[in-house]
Amino acid sequence: MDSSVIAQMVVSGALMGLVYALVAYGFQLTYATSKSINFGQGELVMLSAFFSLTLTHWGLPYWLMVPGGLLFGAAMGLVVERAGVRLALEQKSEGWILLTIILGLLFFSTAENIWGRDDRPFPTPISADPIHIFNVDVTPLEISVAIGVISIMGLIELFKRKTLLGKAFDAVSADRDAAELMGISATRTVMLSYGLSGMVAAVAGILVSPITTVGPTMASALILKAFSVAVVAGLDSGFGVVLVGIFLGALESLASFYLGSGWREAPGLVLLILALAVRPTGIFGQTAIRKV
Amino acid sequence: MTGNWKRFLLVRGVELVALAALAAVPLAVTNPFALGLLTLLAIYGILLIGLDVTVGYLGQVNLGHAAFLGIGAYTAGLTVTLLGGGMPMALIGATLICFVLGGLLALPALRLDGPQFALATLSFSALTTTIINEWESLTQGAQGLQVPRPPLLGVTLNAPDFYWLCLLLLGLVWMAMRNLLASRWGRAFEALRDSPIATDAMGVGAYRHKVIAFAVGSSLGGLAGGLYAFNFQYLQPQSFTYELMVILLLGVVLGGRKSLWGAFVGAAFIVLLPNLLSSRLLFQVFSGIGLTVAVFAAWRGLASKSTQPFQALAPVVAMGLLLGGSLLVTNTEDWRKAIFALMLFSVVVGLPEGVMGFATALLARLFRILPPALPAAAALETVLPQRPADGTPLLELHDLQRHFGGVCAVDGVTTTVRSGQIHGLIGPNGSGKSTVVNVISGLYAPGGGAILLHGKALPSGSLYRVAGAGIARTFQNLQLFGELSAIDNVMVALKDVFHAPLLLVLLGRAGAEELRAQAAALALLELVGLQDQARVRAKDLTYGAQRFLEIARALARKPELLILDEPAAGLAHPDAAELVKIIRRVHERGVTIILIEHHMDVVSELCDVVTVLDGGKIIAEGTAEAVKRDPKVVEAYLGVVAAEPTEAAA
Amino acid sequence: MSTDMLRVEDLHAGYGSAEVLTGVSLAVKAGSLVALIGANGAGKTTTMRAICGLLPPRRGRVLLGGQDVAGLPASGIARRGLAHAPEGRRVFGPLSVEDNLLLGAYPRLPHFFGFHGQAATELERIYALFPRLKERRSQLAGTLSGGEQQMLAIGRALMARPKAMLLDEPSMGLAPVIVQEVFAIIRRLKDEGITLLLVEQFAKSALEVADYAYVMERGRIVVEGTPEELRRDERVLAAYLG
Repeated sequence: MDSSVIAQMVVSGALMGLVYALVAYGFQLTYATSKSINFGQGELVMLSAFFSLTLTHWGLPYWLMVPGGLLFGAAMGLVVERAGVRLALEQKSEGWILLTIILGLLFFSTAENIWGRDDRPFPTPISADPIHIFNVDVTPLEISVAIGVISIMGLIELFKRKTLLGKAFDAVSADRDAAELMGISATRTVMLSYGLSGMVAAVAGILVSPITTVGPTMASALILKAFSVAVVAGLDSGFGVVLVGIFLGALESLASFYLGSGWREAPGLVLLILALAVRPTGIFGQTAIRKV
Repeated sequence: MTGNWKRFLLVRGVELVALAALAAVPLAVTNPFALGLLTLLAIYGILLIGLDVTVGYLGQVNLGHAAFLGIGAYTAGLTVTLLGGGMPMALIGATLICFVLGGLLALPALRLDGPQFALATLSFSALTTTIINEWESLTQGAQGLQVPRPPLLGVTLNAPDFYWLCLLLLGLVWMAMRNLLASRWGRAFEALRDSPIATDAMGVGAYRHKVIAFAVGSSLGGLAGGLYAFNFQYLQPQSFTYELMVILLLGVVLGGRKSLWGAFVGAAFIVLLPNLLSSRLLFQVFSGIGLTVAVFAAWRGLASKSTQPFQALAPVVAMGLLLGGSLLVTNTEDWRKAIFALMLFSVVVGLPEGVMGFATALLARLFRILPPALPAAAALETVLPQRPADGTPLLELHDLQRHFGGVCAVDGVTTTVRSGQIHGLIGPNGSGKSTVVNVISGLYAPGGGAILLHGKALPSGSLYRVAGAGIARTFQNLQLFGELSAIDNVMVALKDVFHAPLLLVLLGRAGAEELRAQAAALALLELVGLQDQARVRAKDLTYGAQRFLEIARALARKPELLILDEPAAGLAHPDAAELVKIIRRVHERGVTIILIEHHMDVVSELCDVVTVLDGGKIIAEGTAEAVKRDPKVVEAYLGVVAAEPTEAAA
Repeated sequence: MSTDMLRVEDLHAGYGSAEVLTGVSLAVKAGSLVALIGANGAGKTTTMRAICGLLPPRRGRVLLGGQDVAGLPASGIARRGLAHAPEGRRVFGPLSVEDNLLLGAYPRLPHFFGFHGQAATELERIYALFPRLKERRSQLAGTLSGGEQQMLAIGRALMARPKAMLLDEPSMGLAPVIVQEVFAIIRRLKDEGITLLLVEQFAKSALEVADYAYVMERGRIVVEGTPEELRRDERVLAAYLG
């Protein structure tokens, strides 16, 4: 097979894989503080993307739309936390699994009805004309995805390291009770983590929509792959998700090319099942000790 | 005996009447639409009974059940179209394939915690849909598969006949599952939901039971799938989607978990749902009723302070949105998913017990149904046979080691526990007592050294295998099966009692064995003074009773060696005194006991020999009196007298 | 008593259906060091958890500077001026020593930027007390030795400039030499006039530094008095060794 075609597949796929990594990163944020994740995160990505689309239709220029979309995503994240997660956490149950699934379904149905079931194009000022680098065609749009993902992850990590609030976030992740003793409200910190996670979902939506278009099917397409990346890398693996995301994206691209587009989903799912079977805490994750 | 008749009439009687009524319907009603709905009701009934096994009994969110419906459907369909098989072969094939696949999925998936398990089943579901879609040569993919309905035993099945077949199968499944879930299997499923650790420690392999439960539930999904295929006679992969899965969950949760009637009510709801949505007026009425119920429940809950604000108000908001939506929206079909979501949200938050959970409590109060009378307690000798207490070495620890990260919790412990003795294990906080006992019982594997039982190496690192070797234990932090009654807790652990093969259990012919087990369990409850609270749910017992129950449960293992990990923790004086009496009674049966305790008065009263640990090492061993006076022990507990106050070291 | 900085009245608390504390009452005068001693399982740590809010009390009052804080969440009680160096130290392992200290003053510092500047004097004060922590200021707290982590936990609590401080089993798991260092620090804190409630397994060390002491057994206070009185009281030894 022509090696440049393979290289092309790998690069394009890897760039998409970064988006999966970003959504997985959003999972990590909430998992760190509360051991919970939003099963409806895919719907959050879609909803934020649709909202951002509407902002541009209302005349907002792209660079003003972006913060608007991010704020919306953060707000939706807070809604998920309040409606779906807090009660279950207080009762120390896993009811948030079902509740976040339900909220996701609600978002999906609302989006379907407000914006319709068809895929819609998403405007972007960034060009989609391919540039030729090292024998491979890459569009500035795809490069912007990479830049966007790395930037937002970098910004959040910077926030965690440089601001006191960010350090409090890490403190709650490390030891919730001890953090409370410092006067840090664990509940507020969980809210913050869900807000950030929602914002990250919005970023993913805005970055990927110009390439894949916005539509209701976006949610399910994205979510399982993000789950795969999160589980395979480990829900506490930090930047490990980037490596796994790139790997999965490339693998998917190759599968789609060699086996047919319907098999695109398969590598992620197989990897997920394998990871759960062999090493549930993930490649980069850590195992815990049981106490009785 | 009137109690028995009342219960029989109300429970079995109602079941039989319902079955007869349903069977009689085609004789009176010829409307094919109505018949179709009832057929679907029977099929979904089987499907939800299967889902209830994982969602209700195991307490897990299972997102793969719709996939098993699909696998069963396609298996049955392809058996007929490709292999030319008849209906029995198709249905059996569908059931078996889903049993096997369910088991295979469960093997890795059930090692996982809740969220990851949900993910595993979700990805299995997506993978299944992908395979069905893509393997067009086999399944015709998205185009759909036509499935003819083969004759059964030479008889072509028209609509009423097929309906009766589905109803018959529902009845058989109902009976079999009722018997299964009332037997030791059902108890094991519930036990492992409440405490997988204790389940293993009581010799009931938590993992294998989880896998079997999941496989059984999936096989029922497969059976339902087969019937589904012959019902619609046309299959498409799009039918078995995430949306269907959420509807199934809605049915199980709304109907009521851990309940056959709940599954049936849920199935009825699912089947009638599209009809509910098609009429706008009907839907508005339904939402209105729902909102009224939610407001009423919220008001009552808040007034009696039994629910917290969010739990009371969230269903009101959801139902309000539903009503509002029903008034504003023109086409309810388009908003189907949102409607399911709002309904499921209200139920999960506001009515977690489901309709049947609520109804059963109400009915029990109205009719004052008593649970069946328990048999007389068995003789203690049969349950806990007297052992010779000859002081020979029973358990030997040779240089036992265990580290956690950098911390050395157990650092070379060597001691011998002699048959028939009560061996105390004491020491300050962090001295390694619990770790020693956790290593012996198999919760942790030793890092070094040896453990010998009767001179032979004890299996290590597995609670289940150590339990099998004749060692039983209680836990410092109670690990009871909270939702099970006291007697059920003990029955889970009973050893050498349950011999009936599975088939007899399913047919309900293992009743005599159950009674013998109950008698045995009662004998142990008598030993700890809980015989009058046999039917009380473990989580509703007083704290002292819970501690005693754990001991009774451990004794059900007929152990040679019983490990009691701080049994007196948190006990008030009267209970502590009772505990001493109980331990004495156990001792008299010849059971060797290792006792970890902080309360020195308990230790002095009971222990023949005491080992004192500090910093993972043994610092003293001897009688309780000798050990109490040992200066090293006093120092370990009370600390060293500080030297002259020095400047703080730099 | 108006000079009680911390007072606990008839405290009842427990886990699940267990009632561990059955009416605990104690008082800590401003600027004094009170010890709470007793065997394991007596309920000392449960008492600390109930006071600081990690365990909601079922009955009773917890008065901090005259204000009843029983029932508030732990972070709320901390913000009202109660600092706690918990059992097992519980430092934030993945964060640096300095970050741990900064978080000790979390309620008072700006949450985003500028907190370093505002906390500078506080930090210097703590580093003066614990020079070894200054040496290791950028080291991850999880890599410190047990004794250093204990210093850090105490320093972290001091950063809050608390009205009262709870110290739960500071000597646990530490070598005797380090324990002596820790108690030397505790003496320094006492000299500076910090209100301290000290829970200790090792009665002798605790009685060396305390102004007043309570002995717990089975969820209640059974003996109380000055260290001199308690040293002569046989019931103290009985509470430990039966």
